[in-house]
This record gives sequence, structure tokens and C-alpha cells, in this order.
Amino acid sequence: MSTHEEIPHESVSVFQKRWRKFKSLKRGWYSFLLLSFLFLLSFANPLLVSNRALVVKYDGQFYFPAISGHIEARDLGQRAIGEARYRELKTQYDEAGGGNFVLLPPYPFHPNENLLSEPDLLGSPPHAPSGRHWMGTDDRGRDVFARLVYGFRISLAFGLGVVTFSYLIGVTIGAILGYFGGIVDIIAQRFVEIWSGMPFLYTVIIISSVVKPGVVGLVFLLVLWRWMGLTFYMRGEFYREKSKDYVAAAIAQGESHASTIFRHILPNSLTPVVSFAPFALVGAIFSLVSLDFLGFGVPAPTASWGELVNQGKQNINSWHLVFFPLGALFSTLIMVVFIGEAVREAFDPKVFSRLR
Amino acid sequence: MSAYFIRRLLLLIPTFLGITFLVFSVTRFVPGGPIDQMIAAAQMADGEAGGGSAAGGADGASSGMPEEVLKELEKQYHFDKPFYLAYLSWLKQLVTLDLGKSYKFNEPVLDVITSRFPISIYFGLIGFFLAYSVCIPLGIAKAIKHGSPFDLISSAVVFIGYSIPGWAMGAVLLVVFGGGSFFDVFPLGGFRSEDWNDLSPIGKILDQAHHTVLPVIAYSVGSFATLTVLMKNSLMDNLGQDYVRTAFAKGLGERRVILVHALRNSLIPICTGLGHAIGLIMAGSYLIEYVFNIDGVGYLGFTSIIDRDYAVVMGVLVINTVLILFGNILSDVLYVLVDPRIRFS
Repeated sequence: MSTHEEIPHESVSVFQKRWRKFKSLKRGWYSFLLLSFLFLLSFANPLLVSNRALVVKYDGQFYFPAISGHIEARDLGQRAIGEARYRELKTQYDEAGGGNFVLLPPYPFHPNENLLSEPDLLGSPPHAPSGRHWMGTDDRGRDVFARLVYGFRISLAFGLGVVTFSYLIGVTIGAILGYFGGIVDIIAQRFVEIWSGMPFLYTVIIISSVVKPGVVGLVFLLVLWRWMGLTFYMRGEFYREKSKDYVAAAIAQGESHASTIFRHILPNSLTPVVSFAPFALVGAIFSLVSLDFLGFGVPAPTASWGELVNQGKQNINSWHLVFFPLGALFSTLIMVVFIGEAVREAFDPKVFSRLR
Repeated sequence: MSAYFIRRLLLLIPTFLGITFLVFSVTRFVPGGPIDQMIAAAQMADGEAGGGSAAGGADGASSGMPEEVLKELEKQYHFDKPFYLAYLSWLKQLVTLDLGKSYKFNEPVLDVITSRFPISIYFGLIGFFLAYSVCIPLGIAKAIKHGSPFDLISSAVVFIGYSIPGWAMGAVLLVVFGGGSFFDVFPLGGFRSEDWNDLSPIGKILDQAHHTVLPVIAYSVGSFATLTVLMKNSLMDNLGQDYVRTAFAKGLGERRVILVHALRNSLIPICTGLGHAIGLIMAGSYLIEYVFNIDGVGYLGFTSIIDRDYAVVMGVLVINTVLILFGNILSDVLYVLVDPRIRFS
């Protein structure tokens, strides 16, 4: 029996340890994989969910409208003005026979496309779900499933944008305030107080009703509010870390302020904000959907979940306009919450000791 | 201590000025403000060949709006001055509790808002009590049975609640129970039925309750997750403390240790949340009021933005802001009251 314990050869950094822990928490890890996969997949939306054909073969020549864009109908032998209508073109080629063919995307409808001229959509919109339109159409005769798929990309990209920028700003400013302290800190604290006293959503609605921002403008508007809360955390962490020996050692070694802040203290003080990040993402997506629901979100034809729910509120008989978008919102957010739970467990484990 | 709170109270002033000035300035740079709206309304009235539908407007003018009326209106809304002077005039009126006049309702803004306050408070308070009376016992039970199937299942429910906003829950409830596609159990919103005044006393109560159920569920769902988890974690924290060990060591029963000793201390973070809740209760939630068509303060704020009734927009903002700011201070006061270890300086 050897007295020496087996010493592991590889040295494991703190981050690696946390990453391994995160991977071991199955619910969060699989949510992370699935959500990342869906998000990456959503960048291929024009190839999966669109009214433009992937490949058209006409008179021995190949066309790739999904990639190359607009092709005139008459260039493909269709009797119509303007852009070719590929679903009709497919029936036309199929009926005519010969070597021409159209390869449509798996779900051949575009989110902004008015489908009221479709033969299977009779009567006034919104139409209930059917085999062809999985989630029905909205009150302007647009396909709900297509709008959901595109809305997913917007919602998640929007949320990630808001979180990333507010983190960049909030962490940097909080770090600087906590590190230097003094008069800058006092003034900045007052400013933060003013900002955080504002009724957030109400003010955003007022501003949004006035300036009518685009998606980027909306991200900017939300970042304007979101970064504040982070400075609080960072400032506090920096106050605590600053008094520790390794900081004194770094300064004694002649490290510059920037290096001390970003290389030495920052990695040690990121834990609380990192474990908060997924929940910040939930908050950002909530805000976007709420704004869209009230009609002050992304500009009009853009696919958005909140706008669909609002249509559902106006058309109370069309349950599919409420259930599907909220189902999408819910599934997305619960995955983010699971990720958040795992990240928190990995980065900031809370061990409760209890008697009995 | 009192010096600290006096300073906090004084700091409200610059905060309040900052917020109102920012929003006031924004509202000034918009086309389609109250005066444009009135001119439009007056022209509409002319077009309708004498139809008297333009309520607050035209004074029977035959061609748009007469010069004097326009001047008078500009004066009333301070549009005759640059925005910073206009802000000062608005502020001067505010000091005398005069929030201006709503062009849509043609009534003083203060009356418009106060008449809707009881409705918002009614829903807010019931939702608040419901949330607290469910979450605190639930949190305690989860802490005591940490790791048990009960804890895991209720955690799943709580996570679900966290992943859906209250108003979205409200929309789902409306579709399911509002008689659209599935069950016709509850009304489609509103505060009371239209014939409420003609009902018998018991009928009044039943009707009111009938209109209350769905919105209140939506109200409380929003705070369910955070409140339950907060309660649970707080109690778990305390159960690991030395004083709990001492209490067990001297032979007290588990029930007494948890429910008397540990619970008291773990209620502190819950208590301090009360201050923030005040703002929410009073100001209502525009999203939920919008979903259920409840004519409360939140809904008023929302519709006044759409109608560009800026006197009301500013009025609702003022009241919201004041409530939030006082709520924050109240939270700190409560903190000191319930936890003598805290010293602000």
C-alpha cells in the first residue's frame, strides 16, 4: 500500500474545473447544446424556411434563388410580373414534365409573405393550423410558423446583443469605479441612482413611441438601462478584492493600473456577474417581447413573438396566435434558465450545511 | 441614522428632476403632440359636417382652429416657450400639485389619475397578498425538505413560472378560460360588468370576484419564482448558522428551531422587498392591465402614450417615479427596523 496519493499530472485551471462541472450538469449542458444548435441553425433560415427555391433547373440552366436573390418570373418561364413564385413554378414544371425542376426549402413560406391568394387559405385570416401551415396564419395571412422561426433568431440575437454590450460597459465602468473610488465614484453613484430610479419599461415605451427605433436602436435603448445594475456588482467586488494581498503584490511589481484591473482583479471578481448573465438574457428577451406586445418593439414587418401575441389578444378565437409564440418564448427561456442554473452551480456553488 | 435617511430624502430631488426632465424633453421633440392632435380632431369635426364628435376641440369653428384658440392651447401646454423654460413652468405647476389638463378627457390630469388608482391598487394588493401567502410557506417547506421529490417537483413548477412573464400567462388564461376557443368560464377582462350597479349586493361581490380571478393569477405569477427561491435560500442559509446549532444543542424541538428561531431571521430579505413592492402595487402593471383591459393607472399611461396625451404621460411618470423612489427608501427603513445589526451611515 503506497503512502503517496496519486498526484494528477495535468494541472487543471479554475475555469477548466468550472467548465467540467458545467458539463456534468446534464440539464443545463444539454439545454446549452440544443439552444446553441438552434441558434446557429437559425442563420440558415433562408435555406430552410423561405419562399425562394433552393435550386431551379430551367432549360438546362441552374439557378440558386435562395442565395442569389431576386429572379424575374419570365426568365424562368412563368407567366407573371415581378419575382418568380416558386411554389406555383414547381406545380407548373411538375405538370409540364421534362427536365425542369424546382427544389423548394423544407418549409416553403416566407415570414413576411401574404398568403391570402393561396388556394387552401379561404376566408378571412387568421387561419387555423393545417397540414400545410403548421401553426396557421396571422391576421394578415402570414405563416405563423415561419414568423416564429425568424422571431427566434431576432429574439435571441437581440437578447445576446443587449447582454453583451451592457456587460462590456457595466463591467468596465464598475471595475474602474471600484478600483479608483473617490470623487469619480461618488458622482457616478448619484448618476446610477437617477438612472435606476426610472420606471424602466414605461420610459422606454415613451422614448420608443417618439423615436421609433430599429432593432439596433432598441438594443441601444435597453443597454442604456441594463448596464447600470452591473456596475453595482462589479464595484462591490472590486472594493473587496482591492484590499487583498495579490493586488498589493501586483502593484508592487510595477504593474500598470490597466493591467492590475483587467489581468489580476477582473478574473477574480467576475463570478457573480457571470452566473447572473443567463438571467440577464431572460430579462432582455422578456423586455423585447413585452415591447413588441405593446407595439413599441421592432419595426412593423419584422417577425416577432410579442406582436403575434398581441394579434391573439385582438382575435381571442385564434388560440394559435397566443399559444405558439408563447410556447416558443417559454421553451427558449426555460432552456436559458436551465443553463443559468447550471452556470450558477458551476461558478458559484452554494453549499448549505444543515444539522439534522 | 436619521441623518442618512434625510440625505436619502434630499437625494430624491435631483433624481426626480433628472428623470422628469429627460422624459419631458423627449416628449417635446415629437410631431403629433397634443396641439396637432387637436387641430386634426377639429378638421375631422368639420369634415363630418357638424358632427359633434370632437370632444375637447373645435368650439364650432368653421375652418380648422382659430388663431386665439391655438395661442391659448400653446400657452396651456407651454409650447410657446423653448423646452427648458417649458419644463420650468411645468415644474412650477407641479409644486402646486397641478399636473395640467388632459386633452383627451378634458379633465385635470390629477383627477384622471386618482380616479383610476383604486382599480390598480385593488388588483395589485390582492395579487401581492396571494403571492406572499403562497410563496413564504412554499419556500419554508422547500427548505425543510431540501432535496426531496417535493422540493424537486415544486422547483420545476417555480422554474416554469420564472420562464413566462405574468402578462403572457394572463394572455394564455384569457384564451383558455375567456370563452374564445376552449372554456367560457371567466369574462374577457375589465374591472366589473357594465350592469354592476344594478346587481344585488351578493351579485356585486360575485361579479367582482369573477373579474378578479384571472388578472390576480397573472399578477402573482410574476413574483412567484423569485419570492419562493429567496425564501428557501434565506432559510437554508440560516439553518447552517451557529445559533441554530446552539438551539438544537440545548434540546429544542426541530419545529421550534426552524419556525421560531431560524424563520425570523430568514424573513429579513423578504421584508425588505416590501418597499419595492409598494411601487408595483400602486402603479399597477401596464402589461397586465392592457391584457385584461382593466382601466387602471398602468393602462391609462399606456393609452396616453398612444394618444400623445403628454400631460397624462408625464403625470403617470411622476407618480410612478415617486412611488419607486419612496419604495426604495422604505425598503432601507424596513431593513433597519427588522434587522438591528444593520447600520447605515
